[in-house]
Amino acid sequence: MNVSEKRFLDYPEIQYVKWGQVENMYAQIGIIAFVMVIAYTVAKWKKLSVETSMFAAALAGGIAGAFVKTPPIGQLARHMVEGAFTYLDVMLVFSTATIFMAVISEFGGVDYVVRGTIKTFYNKRILALLILMFIILIPGALTGAGSVSVLVVGAPTVMALRYLGIPEKKVAAILFIVAGLSAAAPPVNIWAMMLCAGTAIPYVGFELPLAVPVLLLGTFTMLFLGWKREEKKELADILNQMPEVPKKMSWWRIALPFFVFFGLVAAVRIWPFSLPIIGLPLQFMVATLAAFLVSPKKVNLLVISRDTIKRLLPLLTTIVVVGMLQQVMTATGVRGLISFAVISTPLVLLFISLAIIIPFSEGVLTYGAAAIIGIPLIWFLDSIGFHATVAIAGLTLLWPLGDGLPPTALIGRLSVMVSEHKGSYWSFLKNTWVPWIVITITGILMVVFSSKLEFLVRWSM
Amino acid sequence: MSREWMIKIVLIVLLAAGTTLAGIQLFRQRHFDVPMVAGPGVTRTAKLSDYSPGLKGTMADTTVFFLEGNEEGGKALIMANTHSNEPASLLAALIFLENAVVEKGTLIIIPQFNNSGGRNTRPGDGYPLYFEIPTDWGSKKFRLGNRDASPLDQWPDPDVYIHYPDKQLLSFIDVRNTNRTWPGRADGPLMEQVTFGAMEIMRQENVDIAFDIHGAETMFPVTNCIVAPEKSARMATMASLTVKAREGFDNHVEPSPSGFRGLSHREIGDYSDTLPFLLEAPIPFLDQPTGPKTEKFLLDGKDPFLLKLAKAKMLFVPYDESGWPMDKRVGQHCSVVLEIMRQYSRKKPERAIEVSHVPRYAQVVQNGTGSYYHDPSKADPDKVFLN
Repeated sequence: MNVSEKRFLDYPEIQYVKWGQVENMYAQIGIIAFVMVIAYTVAKWKKLSVETSMFAAALAGGIAGAFVKTPPIGQLARHMVEGAFTYLDVMLVFSTATIFMAVISEFGGVDYVVRGTIKTFYNKRILALLILMFIILIPGALTGAGSVSVLVVGAPTVMALRYLGIPEKKVAAILFIVAGLSAAAPPVNIWAMMLCAGTAIPYVGFELPLAVPVLLLGTFTMLFLGWKREEKKELADILNQMPEVPKKMSWWRIALPFFVFFGLVAAVRIWPFSLPIIGLPLQFMVATLAAFLVSPKKVNLLVISRDTIKRLLPLLTTIVVVGMLQQVMTATGVRGLISFAVISTPLVLLFISLAIIIPFSEGVLTYGAAAIIGIPLIWFLDSIGFHATVAIAGLTLLWPLGDGLPPTALIGRLSVMVSEHKGSYWSFLKNTWVPWIVITITGILMVVFSSKLEFLVRWSM
Repeated sequence: MSREWMIKIVLIVLLAAGTTLAGIQLFRQRHFDVPMVAGPGVTRTAKLSDYSPGLKGTMADTTVFFLEGNEEGGKALIMANTHSNEPASLLAALIFLENAVVEKGTLIIIPQFNNSGGRNTRPGDGYPLYFEIPTDWGSKKFRLGNRDASPLDQWPDPDVYIHYPDKQLLSFIDVRNTNRTWPGRADGPLMEQVTFGAMEIMRQENVDIAFDIHGAETMFPVTNCIVAPEKSARMATMASLTVKAREGFDNHVEPSPSGFRGLSHREIGDYSDTLPFLLEAPIPFLDQPTGPKTEKFLLDGKDPFLLKLAKAKMLFVPYDESGWPMDKRVGQHCSVVLEIMRQYSRKKPERAIEVSHVPRYAQVVQNGTGSYYHDPSKADPDKVFLN
């Protein structure tokens, strides 16, 4: 037997699939997907947490796949562990950013900022709302992570919005929507960057296609949800109700840690070839150290860190399990089937279904969704004459909405946590529906009319 | 002991066992060395760190092979495994390394250009850890690496990668992608040092032409092609037309976009006198809408979903029941490299690079890639290099 005859004989055949029979592949992968859904449902029925249920789904999918060697059973543990590390960096950013804000909050910084904002802008409502919008937009725009916006500036803006007379249920909705938009805002939009990296399209010309809709939609959200003052109180009464701040507190004590953080972020942009890359987690830790040093009262850094991680644990676990789920879905072909189903959809139906597909894919896979669905979608749209840059910008308005959807609901859960929303998660989500629909329509229209909006790219360059 | 604690202990034991097993498998993959048998043409070797000293002692350092002819001539550089999840490049480079005889000029080969990427995996994407190529003496085992260098070797990532020297903003992950970090710098992040090392080879050795060999998805418009900047375009076009006419396979030419920085086909041309060519062959394994990511699929390129998409005219390459086997991809790379060297030698006879004993497309498809590899256990130990 020569080499050409021997080729492929040693490779394990996938038992249930015969070449060319798509239906058999559908059946095999469909069964695995069904097993995953059943495992998730049973786990939830047994009242296990979302994270444990997702883990059960991943494990069951892997075991079901192992019957047809996708993946081989000996590789299952490796796939689970490898998948768990998919979003390690995101977890580090979440942890360090939250510890940073916890220190600021602990020494009274948040209370001080809110008091100052209300004192100055209480009677200039529109201006106050727009300023708060920019405060939420900036951290996410600089880092590409809406969660950073929620974690860094969420607490003070939430309090300021409440004192402006906006009800608690709408405050969480504002924070979620605007923080989501901040992730899509330029200069750093991680979905667009991942799509550009995967489609070999340069990440240039995105400034206006992203900034214009983000600012318009952000303004709409702030005014729609925040315009109506539910309860009018006298400024003096509000100031009296606010928590006391430590006597030694001053603006510079709060500003300095933020200057340190944003200074580090900006410095890397200004002198990219002279400074070492230290990464967002260390930048947050340096800022935390600065906050600790200028604190007007004694704070216990270790206790704050321990409590913060304890609070974040469900979220961190979700991110770990999403990575596992993603890995198992790819190794078994479930991920490919989803991607295949999306890009096989007729064009008009595809545009309509983007409203569902994009946010839900984000809810399940977070950033992984951009690769699985976004990359083949952009290649396809590009090949039939749509403008790739504008289409990417349009899609990236829809992805942050998915950060409010289970099972991950990263920004949504953080918004609920930071705003201390008392009702159910669903009651929070219900308040976002009008901005949600407006953003969805805007994003889809940008994709559909991408060629006509090409001037935005030209004007950016 | 309560039932709850019993359950907790059992789960912890299971977790520890699973993690240990996975850790051992991942550790072994990272430290698995592929034996490469230096063929009759190899006259000397160097390390990439000889040209970029910062790489010394790191996982990013890699072996550089020189195949020098008896007669003076031009110089060609072949870089493979820039993206280690596109393995046809490595397989083609090894065919050159183990078989080529250089009559005139010099051939320089870096088979595992992003060595760190070759020792990495791709979390979330469910790849197998290895693949094997059948040979006459058994099978030859390779690591299946990642597109990006391992975070164990270069970390942390920035929040956004700012390309040197153009300051173009790129995805944070591209700081570990050796096809975005060109032309590199001596004291930059590790992967910039890798591309800097290659630039130094080209500048110090006066390399005439450079090949960066890749694979691309069938749904990606820039696939099955030669990507070339303006200064290489004519030669790429001649090679493309010739392989089509003489060998019967398509390999069109794509222009290198001047506004997209960091890519080898752009920066090599802009920062040296070398003519760059980036070769792409289709690799269905990397497409998103496919079935399970198995070793078999990596090698035969057959997928029923892609077949259905091909019928709907959604792929950028012809695709039928035969898939896109590895031998076809490797054969294309061999032929295109040989053809571009031939075209260059015709244009500049004083800088000719004449190479023999390397199979072309039809031979690789007929005989199989593995038939061109030598058994390391029977080779002179001095000729066996682990990388």
